[in-house]
Amino acid sequence: MRDDVIGKWELSRRRVLAATAGLGLLGRSDLAFGQPSGPWSQPPRSKVDRLNFVVWTYGDIYTRIAKQFEADWGVKVDSTISSFNDHPTKLTTMFAAGEKIDVSQSSPFSFPNFVNQGLVEPIDDLPGAAEYIKDFTPFTKQVATIQGKTLGLPYFSAVWVWNYYADMLEKLKIDKPFASYDEFIEHCVKAKKDGVSRYPVLWVAGVGLEQLPGTWYQMTWNRGGTFFDKQGNHMLGAGSVARETLKWWANTFEKGLDISDPESLKVQFTTSAKAFGAGKNLYRGPNHHYGLNVANDPAQSPIAGKVKVMGSPGDGKTIGVTHVYFLTTANRDKEWGWKLLQYLGGRTKDGTYTQAIGLAKDAMLGSGFTSVMQSDAVKQGWAPWGDVPAILKIWDQAAYIGEVCSSVYQPWHFPWTDQLNIEVQKCLTGQITADQCCDNLIKGIADAKRKV
Amino acid sequence: MSAGAFAFFMNVPTLIFLGLVLAYPVIYAAYLSVHQVGLAQLRRGVFAFNGWTNYGRVLEDPLFWVAIKNTSIFTVITVGSEVVLAVLIALLLNQAGVWTSRITRFLILLPYAIPPIANGLIWSFLYSFQFGFLNRILFTLGLIDEPINWAGNPDTALYAVTVPYIWRTLPFAIILVHAALQGIPRDLYEAAAVDGARAWHRFWHITLPLLRPIIAIILVLRTAFAFAVFEEILAITQGGPGDATWVAAWYSYKITFSPPNNFGMGSASAFILTLMIGIVALVYMRLVYRRVTL
Repeated sequence: MRDDVIGKWELSRRRVLAATAGLGLLGRSDLAFGQPSGPWSQPPRSKVDRLNFVVWTYGDIYTRIAKQFEADWGVKVDSTISSFNDHPTKLTTMFAAGEKIDVSQSSPFSFPNFVNQGLVEPIDDLPGAAEYIKDFTPFTKQVATIQGKTLGLPYFSAVWVWNYYADMLEKLKIDKPFASYDEFIEHCVKAKKDGVSRYPVLWVAGVGLEQLPGTWYQMTWNRGGTFFDKQGNHMLGAGSVARETLKWWANTFEKGLDISDPESLKVQFTTSAKAFGAGKNLYRGPNHHYGLNVANDPAQSPIAGKVKVMGSPGDGKTIGVTHVYFLTTANRDKEWGWKLLQYLGGRTKDGTYTQAIGLAKDAMLGSGFTSVMQSDAVKQGWAPWGDVPAILKIWDQAAYIGEVCSSVYQPWHFPWTDQLNIEVQKCLTGQITADQCCDNLIKGIADAKRKV
Repeated sequence: MSAGAFAFFMNVPTLIFLGLVLAYPVIYAAYLSVHQVGLAQLRRGVFAFNGWTNYGRVLEDPLFWVAIKNTSIFTVITVGSEVVLAVLIALLLNQAGVWTSRITRFLILLPYAIPPIANGLIWSFLYSFQFGFLNRILFTLGLIDEPINWAGNPDTALYAVTVPYIWRTLPFAIILVHAALQGIPRDLYEAAAVDGARAWHRFWHITLPLLRPIIAIILVLRTAFAFAVFEEILAITQGGPGDATWVAAWYSYKITFSPPNNFGMGSASAFILTLMIGIVALVYMRLVYRRVTL
């Protein structure tokens, strides 16, 4: 998730007021909103002068939440904010240097490493934690619970969806988007042949932990495959679904059908949404659902309103993911750190999931709390950008990414993903075959384990 | 106090400063390179000695050798181009008939003042496949029919990142060569002209030999820096596509700062790179930095 939540969410004062008014109107009919009598409203017994968090950048949410915390509790909050890519480096170097860090965040792919290296404090015994855990979505449970311990609160959730450019489909005189992979190829070949689009499909195949890997995971899962079985054995051998999927995928690039936009190999989630907004592609391959709030934003996309969301072929199986905030072991005070963690990933003093609701309404992000996902914050908040019932239906068909690639629970997943990015890009650019790629990745599992 | 002792005394503050700023981190990194160092160990400050294990793991990692190969190609292209272009441009600037305004001199120096990461970002926009300025110009001039995927094609990506690097660092070499040219006595050229030497002979037998020491310095410095190229890679390709632009510094960075944060192995890879640069520098000095005899 390199740039997916960077630079696309500018929150104006007007929007804050509108959101606040909306919250007031919604009242407390929903668990996501004000429950002021819970443990989140009680002050810790200890005292601290200041607290801090180390996070990756996203609009001005951290400035606002820090201010709210200071106003509610009278404790100053310092923030260290870097880009998504630089965040693990910033966090780990601060930790290694012995600095105090109260709260930080992680993608699910880095999280097992952070846990393994002793950065993460369990939260099970902290006041109110049990209520949060009850409200966790299945995705959140799978990310935040490791070896029976709860280690974080959710930041946001996303599922993988397809997008299509409705006007281009109409121009091609095609009634509805593809319902099978064969139909997908037919549409793309026709778009290219008719001169409507030189590169009909834009994939998210840029280097990352869930960009290029996520695209492959999603299509493999959708076709009934996984990357590892329940015992942890790889499923990349000859004839495997993952291998056949990669062969099919590679064939859409230059040396095969030549229907894939070469820019695919560079783009991340948001940059692909911006590129798709240029109106040059027919389909945008499976990726995070919230790209719609870029592609359908008139300020950012010339084809705003024309980008539609659709599920995956066949039975529609897709994947999803949740990112987390966590209390670090380098905190200066566990009770106060927990209090700050709740402001980022849980409830504020008034009992509202302020951050999660704001992210849903303003950035189309999903939540890791069931009550928020079922609230009007999602139903009304997402509506300006996409077909909410369609997305929620896709949501119901999504499995956590760890079910497709169970190595995400292992510390060696990170170095193995480095190799996966390299090998798959080499395959997509015709330097090696899909068979060679998968064979190299099988060998790479042992190498990655040695690196941990 | 003898002159030698006085000189040493006067240099002590500088030596202490350099010791703290340069030597300590280098020595500490050397220490880390022979220990097992992850994040938790670094925070605790307790490391298990593991001898040459980290070096062995780096040397047996195929990706390290891909990075070394790419770094070598990158270095040969960038340093070679810089030396040739610097000599040509400096010769041009040194011509009595060529007048350069302050603005021109400023513009020549400007790329060197641009932060490397900003330079990388600028060029990543220029190289953009569908929306880049470079493809737009070539297309408008009728030189291409379809956009070229400069930084996204494994056949061109490494060469694509050499251009921004050369563009940024060339002014440094031009300044050095230009300064050296101005130090060559005019009477040597006058004597050669009297003997009937043509321009090419004057360049080959007077200018180039007298530039050799400065060229040696440029080669050593620029090679050391090119071997450690990082920012342009980070901004433009991040090592991709595939491993097409994985270079040595990118390898050390990824090993060290990406989970599982193997600081020991990262330090070892950096030291291997340092050793390679040192050997290349020695070769340069022996081959190029000879006493000049006319």
